[in-house]
Amino acid sequence: MSYLVNKLNACSPYWSMFSRVLAAITGGYVLATANSIFISQLLLSSVGKYQAIHIGLMLTFITYACVAMWVFSVSTATKVWLGLIKLTVLVAVATWLLMKLNGMSS
Amino acid sequence: MKDNFRQSMKWFHTWVGLVVGWVLFFMFLTGSLGYFYQEITRWMEPERPFIAHEVSTEKLLDTAQIYLNKHAKGVDEWDIMLPNARDQNLRVGWRHLVDSGKQGSRYKITVLDALTGEAVASRATGGGKLLYRMHYRLHYLSTSISYWVVGFCSMLMLLAVITGVVIHKKIFTDFFTFRAKKGLLGWLDIHNVLSVIALPFHFMITYSGLLFFLFTYMVLSTNLQINDEEFDEMLNEIYPGSTHLDSARQPSDMLKVSSLYQQVKNSWHADELSYVEMFAADDINAHARFVRHETDITYNPDDEVTINAITGEVIAVKINKYTGAGIIHNGFFSLHEGHFAGPIARWIYFFTGLIGTAMIASGLILWTTKRKPKQMKKANGPDFGYRLVEQLNIGTIVGLPIAIASYFYANRLLPLDMANRINWEANIMFISWAVLLIYPAFRTAKQAWSEQLLFAALLYFMLPIVNAFTTDKHLLNSLHHQDWNLAGFDLTLLVVSSCFAFAAYKMTSPQLSNKTSAQRNKQVSKRVNNKIVIEKRDHPSVQVTNDSLLPLPQANKEKC
Repeated sequence: MSYLVNKLNACSPYWSMFSRVLAAITGGYVLATANSIFISQLLLSSVGKYQAIHIGLMLTFITYACVAMWVFSVSTATKVWLGLIKLTVLVAVATWLLMKLNGMSS
Repeated sequence: MKDNFRQSMKWFHTWVGLVVGWVLFFMFLTGSLGYFYQEITRWMEPERPFIAHEVSTEKLLDTAQIYLNKHAKGVDEWDIMLPNARDQNLRVGWRHLVDSGKQGSRYKITVLDALTGEAVASRATGGGKLLYRMHYRLHYLSTSISYWVVGFCSMLMLLAVITGVVIHKKIFTDFFTFRAKKGLLGWLDIHNVLSVIALPFHFMITYSGLLFFLFTYMVLSTNLQINDEEFDEMLNEIYPGSTHLDSARQPSDMLKVSSLYQQVKNSWHADELSYVEMFAADDINAHARFVRHETDITYNPDDEVTINAITGEVIAVKINKYTGAGIIHNGFFSLHEGHFAGPIARWIYFFTGLIGTAMIASGLILWTTKRKPKQMKKANGPDFGYRLVEQLNIGTIVGLPIAIASYFYANRLLPLDMANRINWEANIMFISWAVLLIYPAFRTAKQAWSEQLLFAALLYFMLPIVNAFTTDKHLLNSLHHQDWNLAGFDLTLLVVSSCFAFAAYKMTSPQLSNKTSAQRNKQVSKRVNNKIVIEKRDHPSVQVTNDSLLPLPQANKEKC
């Protein structure tokens, strides 16, 4: 897979740029959403469900902005995608663990 | 992506700002005008009477209620809006039934003559509200598409603001560096000054703009966590609206609103009523809510008094509690909309908005100025991309203000009985913008700039004159009646006109051209070892230290 991505990257700088833009828009959106749910789960017990969701939501634009900036600072587009996938999985697992924890305490 | 993080961010800042720069310019300019949308509407409805000085609030309330009893009989809910600093006419509003055949009703405001109590028949106009709505609703596109387009552009604006700060290691030194009239560096400094001077505003306005459609943009996050019912509950928690009783369908006689107001007046210090909302009118459940002007960004329970309109007793209203996040959310809304702003704060809002607009414009101009020397050396002339950006710049930065002027002209000159008059006002605005976007293709950049600037100056200068020929609400009359809202509009047009005239003069005067000898022997400041040194010299050359934003060779190329 990574061989294929590399192969395509080598073809043209336009493809690499397109790949980055796509990563920033979609990857950024997914990661921002995942992060908002993570924050909601983190705050759930202390501020109540709705406020936790609300705080998570309000921070999405900041997360989104940080991700987009990071996408355009990494050296290659392949690293960008791999990094995004790693981070999303990390946040998703952390959120899942928190959900389990919150489920046990309630 | 580039050598280091700051270089990457510099590249990112350039392109993020460029791709939607013209839409952002449109949003910022129409949004800034939005701070005066009531004043603009008032100017666009010249049939309204001049300000009526010294009519007591009680008298106004009586006038309005007599009109409502006659024309809004059987309507459950109606409002009386008192003249205030922003709109100096008495207005009443209620939901009118839509023409037969269609379901539902539409809220409509009627302007009353405070002296005669008669409704004022104004021309059909979109007014300031249509202009202001464009900054988040755009025009022609459907609502949901507009919101997503605006959201995308706002997100890029947020990125531009954040990266703009990141790439300025020495943001405050740069702020105090101003190299006037020096082409590229001049524009860079102008861009820096405009950005830094109102940085908190730029961030606030962009971030709060995104918050307005938070639940639209981030729909995935809420959908994954809660169902529709819970979502409604959450919205109620975030925006705790006040509740009111509905009509019990048992007619009863109400007290006069002006007599109810006596009690409110006691609890407030001055005559500061903004509007009255009547619920369940002429019913045993009838109650009126008296609301005074907002004075700060948070909700203040003292700003509202609810009174039973049958017995005249004050009804204790359950105070709405905001959550912590709700305070931040609604606080951002307040800051964005500036309803609390008095006249001075409103002007500051307006100018800060214009600073944002100018920041975007200077960034767009910077893009072309930076690439100009290289592009001009090309054998086949400048690239298509360069010419496109330049054309869009001229067509938008000067073209949009001209288009807005034509919106005002359309208001004065279109036949009053024209069908779809409201639509045509906006159509004319966008047609003129389109023409001005195309026009620069047939002229050199310099010609196009100066001609359009001159045209803008002329149009804005002529507007008060056309106003004088088409209505009786012209400058002499409005000054005579001390109607400062009306007079202020015409005077502002003249100021705008002189700004454009000044810009056109600057454009045509030889000083701006880098290659003329007029620039020689001028006092120029330059940066040496990060200090600003003023020195006299007869050959233009520029020393740029390493932490300047510009690549050294390019800066020199531009100068020599």
